[in-house]
Amino acid sequence: MNVDPKAFVANARAALADPQLRPALGRLKTHFGAGRAFAVHRYGDFESLRAAGKAIRDYAVTHLDELLVTFEQSVNARGGTVHWARDAAEARRLILAILQDVGAKTVTKGKSMVTEEIRLNPFLEANGIEPVETDLGEYIIQLRDEPPSHIIAPAFHLSKEQVAETFFAAHKDLDPARSLQERNALVQEARAVLRRRFEAADAGITGANFLSAKEGAAIIVTNEGNGDLTRLLPKTHIVVTGIEKVVADMNDVAVLLRLLPRSATGQAISTYVSVMAGPRGPGETDGPENFHVVLVDNGRSRLIGTEAQDVLRCIRCSACINHCPIYGAIGGHAYGATYMGPIGAALNPGTMGVANAAHHANASTFCGRCAEVCPVMIPLPRIMRHWRAVEYGQGLAPKAITRGLALWAFAAKRPALYRLGASIAARVLKMLGRGGSVRVVPIRNGWFAVRDFPVPQGTTFQQQWRARK
Amino acid sequence: MSARDEILESIRARQLARTPKPTVYRAPPTESDPVEAFAKTLSAQYADVRLLDNMADVPAAIADILRGRNMAPMVHIAPDSELASLDLPNVEIRREPPGQFDAAVTLAPFAIAETGTLAYPSGKGAPASWHFRPVLEIAILRASSVVAELEDVLAALQNGLPSTLNLVSGPSRTGDIEQTMEVGAHGPKALAVLVVRS
Ligand code: SF4
Repeated sequence: MNVDPKAFVANARAALADPQLRPALGRLKTHFGAGRAFAVHRYGDFESLRAAGKAIRDYAVTHLDELLVTFEQSVNARGGTVHWARDAAEARRLILAILQDVGAKTVTKGKSMVTEEIRLNPFLEANGIEPVETDLGEYIIQLRDEPPSHIIAPAFHLSKEQVAETFFAAHKDLDPARSLQERNALVQEARAVLRRRFEAADAGITGANFLSAKEGAAIIVTNEGNGDLTRLLPKTHIVVTGIEKVVADMNDVAVLLRLLPRSATGQAISTYVSVMAGPRGPGETDGPENFHVVLVDNGRSRLIGTEAQDVLRCIRCSACINHCPIYGAIGGHAYGATYMGPIGAALNPGTMGVANAAHHANASTFCGRCAEVCPVMIPLPRIMRHWRAVEYGQGLAPKAITRGLALWAFAAKRPALYRLGASIAARVLKMLGRGGSVRVVPIRNGWFAVRDFPVPQGTTFQQQWRARK
Repeated sequence: MSARDEILESIRARQLARTPKPTVYRAPPTESDPVEAFAKTLSAQYADVRLLDNMADVPAAIADILRGRNMAPMVHIAPDSELASLDLPNVEIRREPPGQFDAAVTLAPFAIAETGTLAYPSGKGAPASWHFRPVLEIAILRASSVVAELEDVLAALQNGLPSTLNLVSGPSRTGDIEQTMEVGAHGPKALAVLVVRS
């Protein structure tokens, strides 16, 4: 697998040919899709809830400067510290400095896509600090040295047999004759191994699903409880998250908490929701002594005021990914980026540059499912179309497409020529057609390599239009 | 310019029309009695919820839960907890933090009917990590502490948010292997709730 968004097309071909991926991708519909549909149905008036969520996130994005300043003041008032990072390199340096300051050697980590985005783990390792992922999915892929294939289910692509192989290879001190056939045996083994790591960690790093400005709190949702052991057992807790995660107050968070788990896993609420506000208070016997929040921009603020601004509302629920026919065919690794599926296609060209991630915006059937299920009503297809226009405008689109479109535009502006061309094309295609579809199209290596062309039926549109008038 | 000022500047330079603060959202009301709704919803999330008439029934219920799970008659109760004076005949009480095979007894100051959720603000005598360390958490909840929704808990927190507010809706679980729910990930493998009516 090539971790390069520019290699998307080759990666997608390889993924389509990979039989290992099929059972996992089949679970999108039966698990995530069905779960969400049931949860939405049970809630009742889900549309009003979506509208409320959208309004809350719109308020936050259009007041981002004010809310971030309020958040910083509230964290300071609780005895925590806020750090600001313009880009990934700055975020890595800040986190390393905090860890070195407290003499940390091992760090447990709760699930955080932003630390994937800034490639934190290899950097910490290179600087003599051991990061230990504790979310089960993240732990599995860390042992396998793979990136996440899904934003909320990092080991989505793996079977339980593959996980068992990984554990046999990694947990060398355990009985090699033990049985790891059942999923629960795998879960229990990870629980036992990771509990020792929690107890020994010098610091813990978590992400945040939301930040609440008024209270200076970071909020995470988990089912495992790993994020809490990450925060509560070590002396130092560092929250690493994007600047766009902030909302006005905890009442806004309460509304978004109704949308997030339903859209993600179909749960009315995740097993644990943790509101983490500063270091331990007076009289408390546990919780961290030091509390830091690292706010990462890394291209986000640039999206404000652009056609792509709405993407900043995203609450990373993964519903768009779970309902995407492209993701459903190729999985997550092919994207070569931290965010995959429709959210990746709408976000990556903005944060990584159109030259790097234009393929993501092109990988869409425009079926519109993503926008239909998005809990905060982000017009994902419209934003993808915007990136396509930018790609075309910057002359970055492939030559075959720009030349083809130029030729088409030339003909379309000349009605007589267009009519002639269309009727010839229709006749030629009819002659080539066999069994309802045309398999021999001259430009076979591009678009038509994996698609058949339907045989044109009857006369051309223009001929029919004239006949009816 | 500092990173902070540069990021804020980058936002302000582009910020478009600000949208107004949305009106308060009201969730659809939960049907029936809040205590019943709470018990029903949490029971559906792999928890063992029992309704007791009064505090005097608690010791027998704790002993029964431990026996039912084949566990030694021993529980951890935090020092300074409101439960510190709880008398449990035939069950040993320990004060240090529970280990990963131990049982802990906690007092939930609030519960939420909408989602079947226990709400634990951290504080003196209410250590947050105790909801994650043990293999079994036995929560004691007064029926009068059940509120309709999370917003009610937030409004009821007298001194604002504590350093940690934990919302717990069942035992620990994971769907990370083949998207199939398995109970008992990092936190407790079992959650029992004793709802005391008076
Ligand atoms: S774009 Fe919408 S559906 Fe997709 S992850 Fe973000 S919030 Fe969820």
